[in-house]
Amino acid sequence: MKDNTNILTFITWGILLAAVSVLLNDMREFEFNKFENFVNWAKTADKDAPWYSSQNAIEWSYYAISAGLFFWRGYLIYGFSYFLSILKEIENENYFSDNNIKYFKKIGTIFIQYTISVLILRFLLAAIGESTFNFFTELKAEFTFLIPAGLAFYILAEIFKRGKQAEEDNELTI
Amino acid sequence: MPIIVNLDVMLAKRKMKSNELADIVGITTANLSILKTGKAKAIRFSTLEAICKALECQPADILEYTEV
Repeated sequence: MKDNTNILTFITWGILLAAVSVLLNDMREFEFNKFENFVNWAKTADKDAPWYSSQNAIEWSYYAISAGLFFWRGYLIYGFSYFLSILKEIENENYFSDNNIKYFKKIGTIFIQYTISVLILRFLLAAIGESTFNFFTELKAEFTFLIPAGLAFYILAEIFKRGKQAEEDNELTI
Repeated sequence: MPIIVNLDVMLAKRKMKSNELADIVGITTANLSILKTGKAKAIRFSTLEAICKALECQPADILEYTEV
C-alpha cells in the first residue's frame, strides 16, 4: 500500500508541477501578446472620461477578467494539491479520518467553484465584446466535466463519513 | 445507554483482576476498560462466551437492562 501511495504521490507532484508550469507559461504569453496592446491603449486613453461609459471600462474589465481566469486556474491547481494531503493521510494509515472528509469536500467545492466562475468570466468577456459566448458550446468544453467530478468528490466525502462511523463502531466492538 | 455492564461486580465476586481476565479472554486491557466503562457499542458473541467461561457465569450476570 505504501509503495502505491508513493507512486501516486509522485504522479500527483508531476501533474501539479506540469500544471503550474503551463499556467506560468500562459501568464508570460499573456503579458507579451496582450498586455502590450493594453499599455498602448492606456497611453492614449482619455483620463478625464468616466470609467463606466467609456472605452476605459471595457479595456480595464477585459484585462481584469483575463487575469481573473489565471487566478481561477491557480485556484484549481491549489484544489488539486489537496490530493497530496489525502495521500499523506493514507500513507499514515488514517483512511477514514476527518481530514480526508474535509479535503474531499474542499476539492469538490473548488472544482465546482472553478467551473462556475470560469463560465461567468467567459460570459463577462463576451459581454464586453472581445469574445463570443454560447452557453451550450461552453458546456461542451472539457473543463465543465469538473462539475460532475466535484460532485463525485462530495459523494466520496459522504462515503468516507459513513466509513468513519463504521470504523468507530468496529473499534468499539469488543 | 440502557445496557449496563456489571463486569466489575463479577470480577469482585470471583476475586479476579482486570488484566487477568483480559489475558484469559484474549483482549487488551484497554478494550476491557472500554467494556467496563460502558463505552463499547457492541460485544461479540465470542468475547461474551470467553468472559462467561472465564468468570463461570451467565451473560445476564454481566449485562443488565435498565430503563433510562
